[in-house]
This record gives sequence, structure tokens and C-alpha cells, in this order.
Amino acid sequence: MRAIENGAAETTAWFDPFTRWMLIIMFAILMAIFAAAKYMNMHSMQGGGTDDTVNAMASQAAKVKAHPFVNLPGDAQVGAFSVANFFAGMIVGHNWKRLFEREKVD
Amino acid sequence: MHIEDGILPPRAWGFWYGVAMLFIIPGIREIKRRVRENLSYKPFLAMVGVGVFVISAMHLPVPVTGSCSHPCGTPLAAIIVGPFATAVISLIVLFFQAIFLGHGGITTIGANDFSMGIVGGISGYLCWRLMRCFDSPLWLAGGIAGFVGDVMTYLTSSFELALSLHGHIPLLKQWMIFFAGYGPTQLPLAVAEAVFTAAVLQVMYNRRPDLLPGITGKKSGKIGKIQIREHEYESN
Repeated sequence: MRAIENGAAETTAWFDPFTRWMLIIMFAILMAIFAAAKYMNMHSMQGGGTDDTVNAMASQAAKVKAHPFVNLPGDAQVGAFSVANFFAGMIVGHNWKRLFEREKVD
Repeated sequence: MHIEDGILPPRAWGFWYGVAMLFIIPGIREIKRRVRENLSYKPFLAMVGVGVFVISAMHLPVPVTGSCSHPCGTPLAAIIVGPFATAVISLIVLFFQAIFLGHGGITTIGANDFSMGIVGGISGYLCWRLMRCFDSPLWLAGGIAGFVGDVMTYLTSSFELALSLHGHIPLLKQWMIFFAGYGPTQLPLAVAEAVFTAAVLQVMYNRRPDLLPGITGKKSGKIGKIQIREHEYESN
């Protein structure tokens, strides 16, 4: 971003260094997830959560059925996670800027 | 480590609520004290709280075991905002995860907070302090804290289940049976948590070492010198 005297920007870069690094890290993590998922698909692995596995083991040991407070069916879980993570990202980003943005050099 | 409602008997989850409260009350005091001492503490707390919420709901696949699990984020939180304050933010995180995402349970918040927010946070914090006493590099101390905090969280969660449900099976055996459900998937994720904790601490230190008073072993100076850059946004 090139600043002019009154503080307004004249041009804006598509990928500033911070965005570029964030995208690189995000794609690296996503590639690792996709590679792991591919491997698991090839070997017919379920990919269930360990929380669910251990809760099922515990239910069996206690001879009771676990009953989560809410149970989000199907894509509702993806929706809830997306909403939660979107706003989480906004809050983290807001506070990150307040705390860690480099000082402007005049 | 998100134990669901209905698994632990009322006596057990009541007990874990009681134990968690022993850390929550000093945690609230710690937050009040540090807010007065450090202007940057509130934004830190908000950022770290949300970070723990996201990290502890982020299920990552582990191809070796064919299952998914999540890191905790509490070792990092304990280093940055303090171990007792981490117990408080974990309690809030677990409450929201239970009511909005169906992760964990309401009755088991005390037990889940004890494993993730208290044992995970404090064990990571103690490792960090110990390593820093020996002048260990920031990244190494952070990495070991992340790894130990993560593993300790799941060991504690398994113990909580085993303590209530072992029946005629020896406690240790039942504990290891439950941990075997977590362990193989969790160990690679503990390594990931170590890398994450080390990287975040190093980035924070590189950018604003003055914002980590007493954490890196260097004094931050006076409170007035700690600048939150909110005024820059207001003026732009």
C-alpha cells in the first residue's frame, strides 16, 4: 500500500506479505489434510473423531448412552463451524492488528 | 477430550466442577490483576480465548490411525495469559462448544475444563518455565510446552473416565484402555501442537517483545509505554 499525505491509500497490493504468508500456511495445512484424507480413503479408514470413539467406549463401560446437549445433523455442523470460525477469525484479526501490526514509518 | 453428557455419573461430574472451581476463582483474580497491570492484556485474552475455541474444535485427520482429533491450544494460552486465566477462558470455550457445536456437554464442563484448561495449561506452563530457567531458546521451550500440555490433557481425560467407570477392572488398566483410544492419534497432533506453539510464540516475540512482559524473561518497561494501536485506526 502506498500512502499519501492525508493517510488515504493510492494503490493496494493484491497480496501483501502478511496475506501471502497466511495463504501459503493455509494451503500447506490444507494439502496435508487432503493427502491424509486421500490415504485414509484408499485404505477404507473411517476417519471418525477420537472423542467419539472414546465416548462410545465409555458409554459401553458405563452401560449408559451419551446424550450431547445439541446434536447438529449433516451439513448443519459444517454451517455452525463455519459461522463460529468466521467470527473467531474476525475477532482474532482485530486484536492481532491492535497488538502486532508494525508501526508506520514516516 | 470432550466428554459428553450422560457418561459421567452426577457424583463424578459434580466433583470435577468443584475441582475446576478451585482454579477458576484464582483465575478470575489473575485476570482482574493483570488487566490493571497491562493495557494489552484484554486484547490478548480475547484473542487467545477465541484461538483456543477454534484450535480445540479443529479436527485434523491422522492417516496412520485412520481417525481425527484436535489440538488444545491451552499450553500456548497458559504461557501468554497465565495458567489460571487459561482455566477461565477454557471454561467459556467449552460452554460455547457444548451449546453451539454439540462438542462435549454441559454437565461435563468441569471435567473437560480440568483436563484441557487446567492440567493441559498448567503442565505446559510449568514445562515452559522450567525450560526457560535453563535458558532454553524460546521456540524449544514453547514446543515442549505444547507437546506436554497436549498429551497431559488426554491422559487426564482418560483418567477422569477411568476413575468413574473402571468397575472391577484395575484403574490403571482402564485408564490405559481409554488412553489407547486417544493416544495413537493424539501423539502426532501433539507434535503439531508443539510446532504451532513454538511458531506463534516466536512470531509474537519477533513483532512485539514488549507485549510479553515476564514471559520472555525481559522486562516490558512501564505500563504507559505499552501501546495498543487502537488510536491509529481511530485517526485513519
